[in-house]
Formats: sequence, C-alpha cells, structure tokens
Amino acid sequence: MSLQKEFTKGLWEIVPPFRLVLGLCPTLAVTTSAENGMGMGMATTFVLVFSNLLVSLLRKFIPSNVRIAAYIVIIASFVVIVELMMQAYTFPLYRALGIFIPLIVVNCIILGRAEAFAGKRGPLESIADGLGVGIGYTISLTVLGAFREILGSGTLWGLKVFWSGFEPFTFMVRAPGAFVALGVMLALINFISLKLEERKRRAVS
Amino acid sequence: MREIIRMVLVLTVICAASGFSLALVRGFTKAPIDYSRLKFVKEPAVKAVLAGYQNDPIKDRLVIPVGKDKKGKPMNLIVFPAKKGGKTFAVAFEASGAGYHGDIGVMVGLDPAQKKLTGISIVSHTETPGLGARIVEPKFTGAFKGKPTDKQLAVGDISALSGATMSTKGVVAAVNNARSLFDKYRDKMLQ
Repeated sequence: MSLQKEFTKGLWEIVPPFRLVLGLCPTLAVTTSAENGMGMGMATTFVLVFSNLLVSLLRKFIPSNVRIAAYIVIIASFVVIVELMMQAYTFPLYRALGIFIPLIVVNCIILGRAEAFAGKRGPLESIADGLGVGIGYTISLTVLGAFREILGSGTLWGLKVFWSGFEPFTFMVRAPGAFVALGVMLALINFISLKLEERKRRAVS
Repeated sequence: MREIIRMVLVLTVICAASGFSLALVRGFTKAPIDYSRLKFVKEPAVKAVLAGYQNDPIKDRLVIPVGKDKKGKPMNLIVFPAKKGGKTFAVAFEASGAGYHGDIGVMVGLDPAQKKLTGISIVSHTETPGLGARIVEPKFTGAFKGKPTDKQLAVGDISALSGATMSTKGVVAAVNNARSLFDKYRDKMLQ
C-alpha cells in the first residue's frame, strides 16, 4: 500500500470512534465543546505519530514477549511530554481536559495502532498511519464537540449561533447527551457508507 | 536464559531513555509552567486589587523567603509589584487569617507612598455558604479599599457582615498580617 493510502484510510475507512469504535472514553467525556474536542484530538495525534514512529524504529530491537510493556513506556513518555507542554503553553485547555490527558496512555487507539500497524511496518508508513488516524480522530471529536456545543450551549467556538431567546438543551453537554450524539453520528456514518457501497455495486453490475 | 537477559536489557534501556528525556522536558518547561499557573490562578485576584500598572505583575514577581514551616521546609512569599514607568508604586501578596472555619486567604494590595490599601480579594476560604461566604462579595471587600495601613485595622473600621462576625474578623486579621509582613520585608518588596 502506498503512503497516501495509509494516510487516507484513517480519515474514513477506519476513522477511530466511528469505525474502529475505539477510544470512546475521551470521545464521550471531553466533547462538550468543539474546542475541547479539537484539543484532545490534537494531543492524541501528537502522541500517536511519535509513538508510531518510535515503535516502528524499535520493532526489531524489542523482543516480542515484552513488546506491550515497551510500547506502554514509549506512549506514556510522550503523554507526559504533551501534558507538560500543555501546562506550560495552553493552561486553560489543560484545565478543561484535566484527567483525560494522562488517560491518553490507555487510549486503545494508540496501543492498537502500535500493535496492529507500527510494530510490523516501516517508519514512514507508520507516521502516515499515525497522522491519518490522528487527524481522523481529531475531526471526529471536533464535529461531535461542535454538534453537542451548538445544541447544548447554543454556541460554536464560544460564539453565539442562535437568537437570544434560544433555550439550549443542557442535556446535550451532559454525559447522556454524549451517548445520544455518538449514536446519531454512528448511524449517519453507517448510512452514508451503505449508500456509497450500493452505488459502487450498481456501477459494477 | 539469553532471551530473558535481552528482555530485561531492552526494557531497561527504553525506560532509562524515557526517564532521561522526560527530565529534559521537565527542565525546560518548569519556568513557563510556574508562570502560567500563577497567571491563570492568581492573576484575577491581582487584577482585582491593583490598578493602573503598566507592567506584568506575574512576570515581575518577587519571591521572598520568610522562614520555615513546621516541617523545616523553607517558605516563600510571592509578591506581585505594580509598576509605572519602571517604579513600583504598589504591591500585592497573599496573607491569611483564621476565620470561622479554617484559614481565609486574602490577596492584599498596598500602596506604600499613600499608606493605603489599594484593595483586597478573597483567594481561598471555607466559610459557611450564605453567611461567612459572603466575604467574597465586592460589597464587603470594597469597604477595605483606601483604608490606612499605618495603624492596625480594627473590626469596627469596616461594617461587619451580619451573622458572620468571625469571618469578618478573619479577613481583618489577614489584612493586619499583610501589614506586618509588609513592614518586615518592605525593602525587599520595593526593590
């Protein structure tokens, strides 16, 4: 597979929260606004790209019996780096994301990509894969966050989008709203891909 | 056996490299982290008590050692100077006094030239909600503005909150503590 293919598959084919249905804990918890979703996505992307690169470079050097332990150490180091950087330069975002930054360590997407992809492929392909999946994840979280923010607080990126008398559905920024929003998005994505497949089949026959 | 040694060795090398790089990152992010902590946690209080400054009080903060705590650890007082034209005309720092329920942390702004309080702001407290907790209201804290600092402030100098005499006393005590801290470290604060 070409590098481009490795990159683009993360954007649609295996876009993490909707296709792989991985990394749902932060997906549900931090997407109360578009900005939070995007921040979380970017932090995850950073960790994902660098952990993929390092795992791929070290894949011949790490004995397979201790690979999970080695991967976790690598991932955890990058997470701590992200955490320190966020505290230093984007403190308000750090406060908003709180406990979910350290929890990137146990985000299944990152370990999943290390195990399923970077542990077997070359460094360039792994970076492309990490970038693709990371950006796919960031876009998903941002869209989900925007959806919940618009309905739940009547704003987008902190700006008002509705008329002044609009009463926001506070339900949407609470935990149950996250499940509803995720369900709606999953249904939508499945519907679109079903239609696409149908069209492809019709074109063939 | 060789396999086991290899596993141990590889993991050790990875962990050591990780520890080393984290120590490096920690080293160069320490100063910005301290800065942004103060900026986002303390700056609202500093802004509330100081006015008309042209500098960044958080950046120009002074750290003054003020003895040791009970465990022998050195304690520091962080002073935020307000400057105009490069000269300090007022300072703000935190002091505490015993309220009805635990210590009340108060950010106190002092103007040494006019010997007046430029304002106070409650930073932390655990007073009773609805009663003592009303000390955070601007109506109460505003009464301290412009009070003289050349003599002890008495509870009678400001109108106490009804039903919250102890909390009022705590805030007054904190302000008086700030006064004595200022007298003690005046030269260091105004350098």
